[in-house]
Amino acid sequence: MSMKMRGGPLAGVRVVELTKVWAGPYTGKQLAFLGAEVMRVESLGSLDVTRFYGVDDINKAPGFRAVNPQKMSVQIDSKTERGVELLIDLIKAADIFIENLRPGAVDRMGIGYEQIKAINPNIIYVSMGMYGAEGPLAYQTGYAPCFAALSGLSAMVGYEGEAPTGMNIRYADSTFGTAAAFAASVALLHRRRTGQGQFIDVSAVEAMTSMIGDTVMDYTLNQRVGVCDGNKHPGMAPHGVYPCRDDEWVSIAVASDEKWQAFVAATGLTALANNAELATLAGRKAQEEALNSAIADWSQSQSAEEIVGCLMAAGIGVHKSLSSLDLIADANLWGRGFYQEVEDAEGNARSILGPAWKMTRPAAVVDDAPALGQHNQYVLGEILGLSEAEQAQLVADGVIR
Amino acid sequence: MSALTNIKVLEIATTVSAEYCGKLLADFGAEVIKCEAPDGGSPTRSLPPFAAGESGLFAYLNTNKHSIGVALDADAGRAILVSLLAKVDVLVCDQAAAWFEALALTPEQMLAANPKLSVCVITPMGFEQSNEYAQLEDLNVLHASGWGYHTPSAADPAKPPLKGPGPHLVSYESGLDAALCITAALFEREASGLGRFIDISKQAVMASRTDYVLGQMIAGDMNVSNDRRAYDLAGPADIYPCADGFIYIWMSAPTHWQALATMLGAPAWMADFPENWLERECTPERVAVCRQHIGEWLLSQKKESVAETAQKLGLIVVPVNNTGDLLHCPQYQFREYFKTVDHPHLGAVSYPTVPYKMSLTPAALNTPAPALGQDNSRYLAQVEAEA
Repeated sequence: MSMKMRGGPLAGVRVVELTKVWAGPYTGKQLAFLGAEVMRVESLGSLDVTRFYGVDDINKAPGFRAVNPQKMSVQIDSKTERGVELLIDLIKAADIFIENLRPGAVDRMGIGYEQIKAINPNIIYVSMGMYGAEGPLAYQTGYAPCFAALSGLSAMVGYEGEAPTGMNIRYADSTFGTAAAFAASVALLHRRRTGQGQFIDVSAVEAMTSMIGDTVMDYTLNQRVGVCDGNKHPGMAPHGVYPCRDDEWVSIAVASDEKWQAFVAATGLTALANNAELATLAGRKAQEEALNSAIADWSQSQSAEEIVGCLMAAGIGVHKSLSSLDLIADANLWGRGFYQEVEDAEGNARSILGPAWKMTRPAAVVDDAPALGQHNQYVLGEILGLSEAEQAQLVADGVIR
Repeated sequence: MSALTNIKVLEIATTVSAEYCGKLLADFGAEVIKCEAPDGGSPTRSLPPFAAGESGLFAYLNTNKHSIGVALDADAGRAILVSLLAKVDVLVCDQAAAWFEALALTPEQMLAANPKLSVCVITPMGFEQSNEYAQLEDLNVLHASGWGYHTPSAADPAKPPLKGPGPHLVSYESGLDAALCITAALFEREASGLGRFIDISKQAVMASRTDYVLGQMIAGDMNVSNDRRAYDLAGPADIYPCADGFIYIWMSAPTHWQALATMLGAPAWMADFPENWLERECTPERVAVCRQHIGEWLLSQKKESVAETAQKLGLIVVPVNNTGDLLHCPQYQFREYFKTVDHPHLGAVSYPTVPYKMSLTPAALNTPAPALGQDNSRYLAQVEAEA
């Protein structure tokens, strides 16, 4: 059987995804970056909305391309009976199937876990939903900020004493997607050792709660609820984001009493240095507002770069708060090879974000996101073994394009 | 057996990231041997939240693990480390390159001595930059990734960007990527017999989580700037106060607008809006008017009931829960997200588990976090006998 081999730990693993928007596609991307052969099944009649956000050409949608590099696309009309048959044949040839459609959609299509298990008993079937596949609230749907709101996470992000703001609106999908990818990888290992596949039911809301596990423990142990606390940290002061010249911001975290001494020495803030009460964490926490004001007074006349230079040398946790302009020029991200070049369907180079990891014997990341149906021939001919005449007939019948 | 039964992991953690990674592996039956400094142990033993004089953070991160107390900076400790590295399948740690050099035991040397071993190192900016940036805290990394600068959405330029939820978000995210890579490496090792070196950059993990926007920016498809709202979406979606707390409302499509009209009984103010305004004509003026009316209406609504009614009409409204609400949520209860663990000092309390329910190899919390060095005799006696 044919397989796209690019090296990496998951080389030889075939993943079929029926996913929309960001979370499910991010799961597929993480597996593709580890070397799996990942194919998206797409249908012109129910296209992923990110294929047409802000563009007329569905093959050039920038959001879609940003999240789907290194994958293949086969276009099958899943609203036709023959289309569903083809989809099932493809899942039969897969190791992992990922779906994040609306609750109940896969059952209506005849591709629920029990149905797929009957034809591919060892499949690893990954179902992704806001609240998971089953349960009293599983019927509810939402987008990323809803996951964060339901999870307890958003209520903790905001300025002290004010209404919660939550994280930036983009937060949640990619974290949820990674949790699903990890579970799929665990299941792959189990299958290789025992031959058994399994069903994985992933909840976006719970994925968010797992990002605040310590705060949840504070509730179960002490009945203390996580609330908006600005930039405070229970075990560090100063711990905040301070204004600099030209509307720049710098994050500063002083992790110990020893580092506090280094901080006041490096900054030359003698009034703070001479205040003996500030020598301990408890003392600094007690005067945190005044402390933050004094630091802001000091920081606002300098550039972020000057402050970083001063505090890095003193061993303090410090970094400029990077804007999007800063990020695309960031020396560490470039130096690491995080920004990479791939090739699109027409042979043009395109920049993407590569994997967050580096590893020995990595997968080669080489391809841009696929054009719609770009890999029809590979999938239908080489994987499913359909002749050219059979494929032509499917086109004539409107099942594939 | 669970998925990682018989997999041995040595964990040498100074921060939450490697400790969380070890926990994710221990959940699936890996035998995680936690190597701690004999005086005081893991730094997370001294981090909040506390109860009965014990760290709840440590209790959460170290279920199912074993603890040995070893001074790695002494010759005897180094010998124990060498011996353990010959026996385990994975080393997960979060030290800078200088730490490995001081031990005269680089990751390359570890892999050469035991080719089946995988070594995963989690650092703020990646292993090559690990000495220079060892002092960075999670707050700094969040702000090196773009999440900090762009949080909150709709930022007020006079107020500072925020740190995100709790103190450890960056570490949890990075531990998750590390666990993904480690299990993938173990999968491949079944065929090749070879382990790997895995280098996780926390900054890259967090930046990767923004791929939908930063990926467009690096490709030249989206403008870059110093605008703190550069990652935002236009529209009325937001957190709103209601009668008994806060709700989140999402509206982006004409179907949402129609559902809102049904819910409100088609009030006069909605008649001035085009049906498809959310998709095609989302002007700041319309957003402001819409926000004002929705905001006034919601002040009289209760979060649970308004969410339920809206969801059934196809309007996406959810309550903004706090951590206390979760234990009473019927969905969390149905999925058994919380499990009781009986800890000798903390007692029997609910612990959060994991977001993935697996039909054959469910994650399990079997034993509470270990006391410092409680497994010394089990692991060290054998090593010392060999020495």
